Amino acid sequence: MPDAADEILAIGQMDRLSSERKTVLTSRKASTGNSLPSSIVPLAGAAKCGVDYLHDAIKSLRPHHLLAVPGLLWLLVFAIAPLGFLAVISFWTSTIFGLSESFTLDNYRAIFRDPVYFGVLLSTLRVALLTTAFSLIVGYPIAWYLTRLGGMKKNVCVLLLFMPFWTSYVVRTFVWLPMLGRTGLVNELLLWAGITTQPLDWLLYNEGTVYVGLVYVYSLYMILPIYLSLDRLDPRLLEAGADLGASPHQTFRRIVLPLSMPGVVSGSVMVFLLACGAYVTPQLLGGPSGIMFGNIIASQFLNNNNWAFGAALALVLISVVFAGLLISGRRLRLDQVFIGGAH
Amino acid sequence: MARIGRFVLTCYAVAFYLFLYAPIALLFVLSLNDAPVVGLPLRGITLKWYGFVIGNGHLLGALANSLVLGIVSAAIATLLALFMALGMRRQFPLKQFAMQIVLIPVVVPGVVGGIMLLICFGYLGISMDLWTTVLAAHVTWVLPFAFLMLYPRVSTFDRALEDAAMDLGATPRVVFFKVLLPILQPAITATMLFSFTLSFDEFIRTLFVLGPQRTVPVQLWSLVSEQVTPYLPAVGVIIMLVSIGVSLLGFWLTSRSATQA
Repeated sequence: MPDAADEILAIGQMDRLSSERKTVLTSRKASTGNSLPSSIVPLAGAAKCGVDYLHDAIKSLRPHHLLAVPGLLWLLVFAIAPLGFLAVISFWTSTIFGLSESFTLDNYRAIFRDPVYFGVLLSTLRVALLTTAFSLIVGYPIAWYLTRLGGMKKNVCVLLLFMPFWTSYVVRTFVWLPMLGRTGLVNELLLWAGITTQPLDWLLYNEGTVYVGLVYVYSLYMILPIYLSLDRLDPRLLEAGADLGASPHQTFRRIVLPLSMPGVVSGSVMVFLLACGAYVTPQLLGGPSGIMFGNIIASQFLNNNNWAFGAALALVLISVVFAGLLISGRRLRLDQVFIGGAH
Repeated sequence: MARIGRFVLTCYAVAFYLFLYAPIALLFVLSLNDAPVVGLPLRGITLKWYGFVIGNGHLLGALANSLVLGIVSAAIATLLALFMALGMRRQFPLKQFAMQIVLIPVVVPGVVGGIMLLICFGYLGISMDLWTTVLAAHVTWVLPFAFLMLYPRVSTFDRALEDAAMDLGATPRVVFFKVLLPILQPAITATMLFSFTLSFDEFIRTLFVLGPQRTVPVQLWSLVSEQVTPYLPAVGVIIMLVSIGVSLLGFWLTSRSATQA
């Protein structure tokens, strides 16, 4: 029987493994006199150093490094170049004849001066922050619950956690329409239990529905990193805390919570970034009041045909995302969640 | 006290799993509901909505497109990722930088990823088609995940095996086909399966670079946003069965190769 939990753990530890291997490789190379150019970079003569560095870098390339070229080239053509081009045309103007290639800041002025666009930007940040908070509140106990389980039960529960996230984002969002609609499950249950006498209309198409949808779709990205950091926690620490007279509350606050912080931060960054760029959930469940930044970007291309303005909006969103990454100061631990699939 | 805490936690976990699975169960029930509108109450069990899907040329065409596109983009992305992992497994200058570059398609929000490609293809006058623009978008989206799955396996590969083969006179080509490939094969297969599901479920990037042929998620989207048809839950269930089935297979293969290693 496959050991699901161990496998996921192993994935979480891969990063560490590979960095250990790196140090081994570096020291091996150093001992044979083929030291890496990055090891000593004196501050003086930085420019010359830069040239030397590049020279050494090119010299140190071996034929096997060339294997990486097709993949990196693909990314250059289909990810980096389009990103650069997006930035360029955000300073252009869209006309009925197409793009006019004259430099202007008007697009950005419009975004920050027009209360509509700026308002949606602010409300998107609010929705993303609150979604992160809700996912943390909902997900943390589940991560804790999973670490407390053992053996077969743990594997099954982890697998059951993954399964819904393996399927289409659109389907997972769409299912909330028959859940919360007038003839939906929730309304039927409320009527059956006699809590309401008429079906409720306000369950769908507002900001609250967007939170339900986003937490449903993204909570795995919160639970998994927290679970991985909690699962590494030595149970003897908890026993030691209890032996020294700490209450369960104190043990949690002083031992468990600090040690799970890396997972909490990884998960929060991930959910925040995903929620910032949400399009499907607000479009399907949000109604007019639940519009998010992703929707107004898309409508510049799908409806208004204003590419230059849409590019400027997209660049603002990317800046928010990259700022979030920089502030949190850590690389996305994507290796921890890739099994969870797409967004 | 601790026992009460445990009980509360277990109840909460049950509630959470209900939250996860109730909508999916409801979708499954509605796909069998003999009613002209999507919703409760149940009016009898029928398989006719699945019949509708099978009899609907648009839906079947979209399903075929998605399946073939998924296989092709998984194959291309896995091949590129395998070579990239092999090329990057040893230390080289700017390696950290290269690793960050690989993550770009994942870090960029989906909407932006889609319009980025739309702008480029549109500006260059490339006409949108399943096998040009959509394929490019899918491979770009899947590639980082394929790389992240393969890199740890490739970088921890026991180099002594290759060295031994080389010492015994094997050419690099022979080492690749007779040593590397057989040992990495389970990881490669699992990567292809996961890549397939990523491509099969991809929606937002596809939406912007779509030509005349649709994929299943896009077809589903237009059904949802234009008018909710009674066979919609059946389409959802079919999509779910494909992606969960393939993912489970990949998961099982990864776990098996991990326990064997």
